[in-house]
Amino acid sequence: MIDYRSLNRFPGTRKDHDRVVRTICQECSVGCGLLAYVKEARIVDVQGDEDHPISRGRLCAKGMAFVQGLENPDRITRPATREGPHDQFKVLDDWEKALDLLAEDLRKINGKYGPRSLIIACDPEAGLDYYIGAMRFAKLWDTPFVFHLMRSPGDLSIPPGVKIRTRPCSDWVNSQCLFLVEADLATTHPVAFSWVLDAQSRGTKIIAADTRFTATMSKADMAVRIRPETGNVLGLALMKMMLEEDLHDSAFLEEAFADPGQWKASFETMSLNGFEKTTNLTLEKVKALSGLMGNKSPVTLITGKRLANRLNYSIWLTMAMAMGWINVSGGGWYPLDSGVPRITQNADIQDRDSLVVSFEEEGDPNGLLKELAVIAQDPESPVKAIICSGNCLNDFLTPIRNIVKGMDLVLYFGSFPNATWDFSHMVFPATLWAERNGLCFSNDRAIQWSEKIIDPVDGCRSGLDFWMGLARRFGDVKHLQWEPYFPWKKEDGLTDHVAFYNWLLDQSPDTAGCDVDRLRGSGDGSKLVFWPFHEGTADRAKIKPTHAPAAIEPLIQEQEEEKSYPLCFQATRIISRSGDSSRWWPWTQELELENAVQINPETAQVLGIENGDEVLVSGAEGKMEGRAWISRMVPRWMVWSPGHLGERRVLVHKRGQTSEEAIHILGEFFNDTRTGNREG
Amino acid sequence: MIPEQETEKDKNVLLVDSSRCIGCFSCEVACKMEHDLPAGPLPIKVIQVGPLGEGEELVMSFQAATCLHCDRPACVLACPTGAMQKRADGIVFSDPELCIGCQTCAIACPFGVPQLNPTTGKIAKCDGCMVRVEQGLWPACALKCPTGALIFGTPTRVVQDVRQQEALRVVRGLKLDT
Repeated sequence: MIDYRSLNRFPGTRKDHDRVVRTICQECSVGCGLLAYVKEARIVDVQGDEDHPISRGRLCAKGMAFVQGLENPDRITRPATREGPHDQFKVLDDWEKALDLLAEDLRKINGKYGPRSLIIACDPEAGLDYYIGAMRFAKLWDTPFVFHLMRSPGDLSIPPGVKIRTRPCSDWVNSQCLFLVEADLATTHPVAFSWVLDAQSRGTKIIAADTRFTATMSKADMAVRIRPETGNVLGLALMKMMLEEDLHDSAFLEEAFADPGQWKASFETMSLNGFEKTTNLTLEKVKALSGLMGNKSPVTLITGKRLANRLNYSIWLTMAMAMGWINVSGGGWYPLDSGVPRITQNADIQDRDSLVVSFEEEGDPNGLLKELAVIAQDPESPVKAIICSGNCLNDFLTPIRNIVKGMDLVLYFGSFPNATWDFSHMVFPATLWAERNGLCFSNDRAIQWSEKIIDPVDGCRSGLDFWMGLARRFGDVKHLQWEPYFPWKKEDGLTDHVAFYNWLLDQSPDTAGCDVDRLRGSGDGSKLVFWPFHEGTADRAKIKPTHAPAAIEPLIQEQEEEKSYPLCFQATRIISRSGDSSRWWPWTQELELENAVQINPETAQVLGIENGDEVLVSGAEGKMEGRAWISRMVPRWMVWSPGHLGERRVLVHKRGQTSEEAIHILGEFFNDTRTGNREG
Repeated sequence: MIPEQETEKDKNVLLVDSSRCIGCFSCEVACKMEHDLPAGPLPIKVIQVGPLGEGEELVMSFQAATCLHCDRPACVLACPTGAMQKRADGIVFSDPELCIGCQTCAIACPFGVPQLNPTTGKIAKCDGCMVRVEQGLWPACALKCPTGALIFGTPTRVVQDVRQQEALRVVRGLKLDT
């Protein structure tokens, strides 16, 4: 190995400080090490931890700007209540009294409408402790409706006992090829992306497949543009071609796969007739790609979060195994945002039937929400109360916003006066991650202890404190044994977060045996702790791989819909935003427009739209206003925005133009492109 | 007003390697945190260029643009109060004690670098992180850059680094292709 020692970096702060806290940034799932310099309970500087094996002293914009959230003058720091959304809030100085009031309101609603009248929604920013607290409170309260965005590894058909390791991003330099599918790592996780560039400068081929021409694509050696949501289909076609070319690892296949012959046959018979139309890629291109990847072993497959909710997601793990890339240095499958192990939240408390609705596992969030919208209006047992964290009502719960207006109680647990706060009757101020001890599960499957940097702003409490306070009141009235549900109480009635996370680590077979003390010990950065914590003896259980479908079906696109909504719509994350609170950081807030609408220059030209124009984006149900950002990052047939709309197909027009006009113009434009009057 | 250049070993350079820049704005925020700046002025700014080209053949790059600390800085010559100065080590900076916020420097600068800090009414401009550099530390933007697109050091060391990396790239290329 040719090695190279780069220039010495000279890190440190010049700011006067009393103490330094070495911790882990929780703005995303990379798990960067950071050093926070504190003077008189204020963070005066943040620097990267040079010894940290993932981040090596580097930090992204979010990993610094979070400091502005802590001291923001707009931050909510007192519980408050009001009669209706149009009244003024009355500030309550005492958390305990506010919880008493809340418990009283909830008790009345429960008495009148029953326990199923309560919905709970959790956003990731409120933390793992809020989420677990919510799940356990829901059990105690007996409501089945908990909505959350917490990701757990889906069913990947791996029998218990077979250990598949995700290798850390620092291992990418040992790859011959990195294949990023619908993963704009440069934008979502810039610090992890530096490992991609390091690998590239060592000769690793970087291939990226995505719909937009992203920052990641711009750095790739080979950029492949596919239609939205077709990444897994590309995976199937690649697997078929690599098998045809005999590039797979036959020995591994025979040994590990349950029925390798049948599995291979499924790919042989899979028809690729619908492939080109579905993905917008030629089969020749896929062939070139499969040849390149198949001859560059080992390959690491890096897949984006978006793929996880779609059919055939497990093709990536199957591919990594079939090609012999798994469990080899420089090879394997690296699914983004899947670093949280499967946690059995309620094994220690009595078993009741519970329907917990997770978008990640169930697939179609919109379908579920539509269902919920119906359930909520059931006259027999209506939903009359909602407890939400973050900005759920403006995010994944948008479809039920209208129902929320008719509810008796809307409670907001959060830090800033956002759109969800607008709807609320009661507000409880939440701590931010820098103010509470926590665990960080990274993409790499590293488990890290994130030490709190400063004490919470007076008046703010953690999610678990909130749920425990509520559970105590509910339990006392109902004469229920609530303590077993929340066995992490300190003497002052608040949560012992160390005890909680020790409990949490014990709940997963992947992390059992690991504890907070052990993780604190790994804080010098030299060695990370990964899950599965115990190397299992790899038994000889055969793996059930993903079989190919009979044919690649074109995505369902109704003709009529295509006519009224001629453009594809995609919403993805921007570099300067993470959770809801990132909207309150002036340093990053000014960098990117949250309502930017990216339109291809040619499409914009026919519609008469110029850069910065006000435009309207409308789908069958959702609508948004935004500012045009004219760029070739999007193909002609697509628009993109950081703002979520919940639509796949849309129409765009500028102010003053009717939708009929826009439909007509775009119809002619795409017709011309198809018939060759314009260059395809 | 403009001091004689001292020997080059006393000077530092900031190398911007655009091939590694991903437009993540980390340098911009690092600078703001270091200098306690409000929203508005950006002493270092990342500019996205492109994508240019047609169809599948697109090219896009990012360029981190900051003060060039010119050898003959127009801003220094234009400043009516002597706030804008060039130090012996090459750093061009504005002394807030002397700055009256007239923005003559902003007009004089051919690269549009000096900007007004709306909170203080004074010029906010890259000062080469001179306080940090005096303490032997790297500038904040370079240190925090996630991808190592900003490299700081004496010209000799930085150039040596570039050459060495290039040489290694050639060697690795040979190794892989044969």
